[in-house]
Amino acid sequence: MLIFSHWFWSVLSFFFAALWLWTFLRQHREKKKKLPSVSTDQNYIEAEDALKAAYHLHEKKKDWDSKDLSLILGISDNLTNGLVDVLIDFKWAKKERKGKLHLTEKGKQRGRELIRAHRLWEKYLVTRKGMSLDEVHSEANRVEHEITSEELEKLDNELGYPAWDPHGQFISEPDGKTMSLPKHSLSEAWQSGSRMRIVSLNDEYSPLLAQLVALGLKPGVDVELVNRKQNILSLRIDDKNIPIAEITANHIFVAPSPILPMPLGELPIGSRAQVTDIKGGGKHQRRMLDMGFVPGAEISVIRKAPLGDPIEYRVKGTAVALRQKDADTVLVEELNDK
Amino acid sequence: MTNKKRIVVGMAGNPNVGKSAIFNALTGSRQHVGNWPGKTIERAEGIFHQDNYEINLVDLPGTYSLAAQSLEEIVARDYIISGEPDVILNVVDATSLERNLNLTLQITELTDKVVVALNLMDEIQRQGSEINVEKLEKSLGVPVIPTIAVEGQGLSELAESIISIATEKHQHRPIAVDYGITVQEYAKDLETDMTNLGIYERNHWIALRLLEDDPEVVNAFKEGNLASFCTDKKTLDVSVDALNKVLKRATRLRESIRPDARIEIVRRRYELAHDIFHRVVRILRPIEQTSTERVDRIVTHRIWSWPITLMIIVVVLWITIKGANVPSDLLASGFGWLADVSRSFLVNQHAPWWLIGALVDGLIVGTCTVIAVMLPPMIIFFTAFNLMEDIGFIPRIAFNLDRLMRAVGSQGKHTLVALMSFGCNVTGVLTSRIIENPKDRIIAIVTSPLVICNGRFGAGLALIILFFGNQALLVTLIYLVISVAAVLLATLVLNHLFFRQEPGGFVMELPPYRTPKWGQVIWRTLVHQVGHTMSRAVIIAAPATFIIWLLGNLPAGAPFEHTAVGRLVAVLAPMGKPFGLTGEMLTALLFTLPAKEIVVPSLAMTYGLQTTLVDSRAILDYLAQSWTSLTAFSFLTFFMLYLPCLVTVWATWKETRKLKWIAMSLFVPLVIASLITFVVYQGGLLLGL
Repeated sequence: MLIFSHWFWSVLSFFFAALWLWTFLRQHREKKKKLPSVSTDQNYIEAEDALKAAYHLHEKKKDWDSKDLSLILGISDNLTNGLVDVLIDFKWAKKERKGKLHLTEKGKQRGRELIRAHRLWEKYLVTRKGMSLDEVHSEANRVEHEITSEELEKLDNELGYPAWDPHGQFISEPDGKTMSLPKHSLSEAWQSGSRMRIVSLNDEYSPLLAQLVALGLKPGVDVELVNRKQNILSLRIDDKNIPIAEITANHIFVAPSPILPMPLGELPIGSRAQVTDIKGGGKHQRRMLDMGFVPGAEISVIRKAPLGDPIEYRVKGTAVALRQKDADTVLVEELNDK
Repeated sequence: MTNKKRIVVGMAGNPNVGKSAIFNALTGSRQHVGNWPGKTIERAEGIFHQDNYEINLVDLPGTYSLAAQSLEEIVARDYIISGEPDVILNVVDATSLERNLNLTLQITELTDKVVVALNLMDEIQRQGSEINVEKLEKSLGVPVIPTIAVEGQGLSELAESIISIATEKHQHRPIAVDYGITVQEYAKDLETDMTNLGIYERNHWIALRLLEDDPEVVNAFKEGNLASFCTDKKTLDVSVDALNKVLKRATRLRESIRPDARIEIVRRRYELAHDIFHRVVRILRPIEQTSTERVDRIVTHRIWSWPITLMIIVVVLWITIKGANVPSDLLASGFGWLADVSRSFLVNQHAPWWLIGALVDGLIVGTCTVIAVMLPPMIIFFTAFNLMEDIGFIPRIAFNLDRLMRAVGSQGKHTLVALMSFGCNVTGVLTSRIIENPKDRIIAIVTSPLVICNGRFGAGLALIILFFGNQALLVTLIYLVISVAAVLLATLVLNHLFFRQEPGGFVMELPPYRTPKWGQVIWRTLVHQVGHTMSRAVIIAAPATFIIWLLGNLPAGAPFEHTAVGRLVAVLAPMGKPFGLTGEMLTALLFTLPAKEIVVPSLAMTYGLQTTLVDSRAILDYLAQSWTSLTAFSFLTFFMLYLPCLVTVWATWKETRKLKWIAMSLFVPLVIASLITFVVYQGGLLLGL
């Protein structure tokens, strides 16, 4: 009988052995492929950090190479080259002629996501957890890799769709729309006697950041540029003279004052402002537009409700009450002169 | 000429601009005129005659826009597009002309048969500003008639203007909004595309809506059915593919408009409104000095707002409960006399006992008891409430309390619904329409039975005074607090159960304070609130009391235990045990479902003291002897919260059209009432009361 013949058993065992080998190899291959997508993996985090740096480069100039990247990251060329290879492996970047690099659409998308996550998380830590400006950067650097896009949207909603992170950097919309502001570093923009508003601080060097914040050099603050002697720049904030080194000034970004739009909800009672943009989209945005909150409209802040929220605004000749969270979706420029 | 020509006029305008006042003044049948936005949501119609024309007015919901973002906007826009109205009458608030023109310019984009009624001209004078009507007319390109609706000024001119627009041969050319080169050019591209497909109607308008990403229009293109925007049948033949192609192109064009097509289009329209406003309005006095500002400084003050709000609510409730006593007694004795007269009349006619019983003791007495107890407090409460509303105080309460309501996931306007529910839960449920947010609206409806209405307060007060004498006020306050806490708790729970994902929001206009128009306040109170509620109450109460009488007296001549009521008492008895409630009480509570006011007479029936709902003195004496204060307190607690009355259930159905929410509006109060009563009773037992 066939069932008891040796042939039968050897064919069967061979068959199972082959099956086992095949599945083992397949699993192994999948494991290998899967590795990078485990988001907590150290390599992956490094790769994403590199991507972020590359994204900043991409925003600043058209052509860049691994040398630029190694300068920003502050690591050796060899290490950087390894990272560049990883970026290319992930299809985040592409190599072009003469070693020039450029980001793919996928890379840009992920880079934007990371930066958005970073800034939103910083905003969260400062406004909700009460952490100070110089503490939040490293914390955000960790979280940005782990947070999912749903969690991010929820956070965005909870925070009232903030437009600015605590360092004064713009938080882009999920689709990547950013408002480009003409900003220059303080030393570039120097013009003795002029007034500038601090738009953002370079948040990569926390010791420096802490020092700047301690000096009162925070985003949103107006500074008067007094004079410049050799490498020392002298600024004035509220009748206080502050001398800083030119090299420090490179990390402070300013724009002609006042240009920085701020959320309507943060305006003090009695002030007036002009609308520059309405965020949020959808029905809410449309409703705000129809109530008269259109770019260019003048708004005065009348009063807060007894419990601090909602806030009454006067717009287009009518009084409208809005919750602060809703008001924050309206970006305004404060008007100072009557 | 007997054959009058018919003109159909649609009335559109922002909320709270006196649209309803003009409607009432023209048609004679008055309608609710409120001082807070968003009141008229149903379509109201009225007819009036002028010269040889029969003019049919259709009141559209008040909207800030025709953007089709809310049900009201869709209703208004669809009606204007439908081609049914010959003329659109746009009522405009002269005191906030710029914002109002946003809607006007959207209307003139749809039709050129528009008449603008520039209302509240008296107020703008009081504010110290001037409007050059002639210039406004020229700027807009449509006739503008200044009116003061509440005084009837300018109305005949308005009617004449409507007729001349409806019959005129030559067309008006309303001003067109300049949307800027990019948008205009893109719109023209899309128009050409549509013309090539054979769509000629409202091309420009549709193109703009496509660029704006208007949900309705985009959907119509997706589905390939433009029937709701074009009357021409030929457009129905256009293939879905062709329309989708246009849509695709529109999407691409929209994305290339920077920074945002939607914002740009509204901004341009407002820019024109701003221009017109500055051309025609002269402001003589800054807004900061108006009396509204001065009053608001106190009413919304960080500290003073609280005593003021609380005082006004307490005073209104106190006047209602106190002031209703005398007329209620008078009405009761009047109806008693009526019952006696009809009884003796029927006896004289040798009518059989069951007919006399059913008619007199069931129908007349039952219905009259409801009227006598309900009517006076309702009139007083609603007059007071409407007065507050007309003055403009009510929106401030919403403003003050929004933060508080946000803590439980609702919003300021919910407090207005709850306040109204103090008068009557039915009116409260109907008032929920002022809330645009569907989630908050549903919650307001479902929680409104938890507010102790006048009916329950009035009827319960008799028992409270009987059992707690000097402490009646304290006990009443305790029930108020329980009720408010129950509303807050239920709101929190409902939010967590059903609406965890949905965003809240609070956007509300704060209208200026106005001197109340007494005539309108009283009319609105009597006709629209008291009249409606009472007639509904009677419609439901009459058959219910009739059935209750039958239950209490059948089979004829049987001892109490063997009547239907007696049996019901026995069946229900075990259910009430843990709450300290007897079968008699539960049966009485069942009987009070048509109207909570008849609780005391119902008790009389279920305790077998009498067979009708007539007199309540005997039962009060009986209860005072047989109930302990704990029993009374448990019973009252349950009674105050247990279930909405049948009329409220009916109103809930009308407003939500979902069995789910009906079920919730029954379930939530029942659970909360059971819980609290259980705690009260068992706690009382533990304390040895």
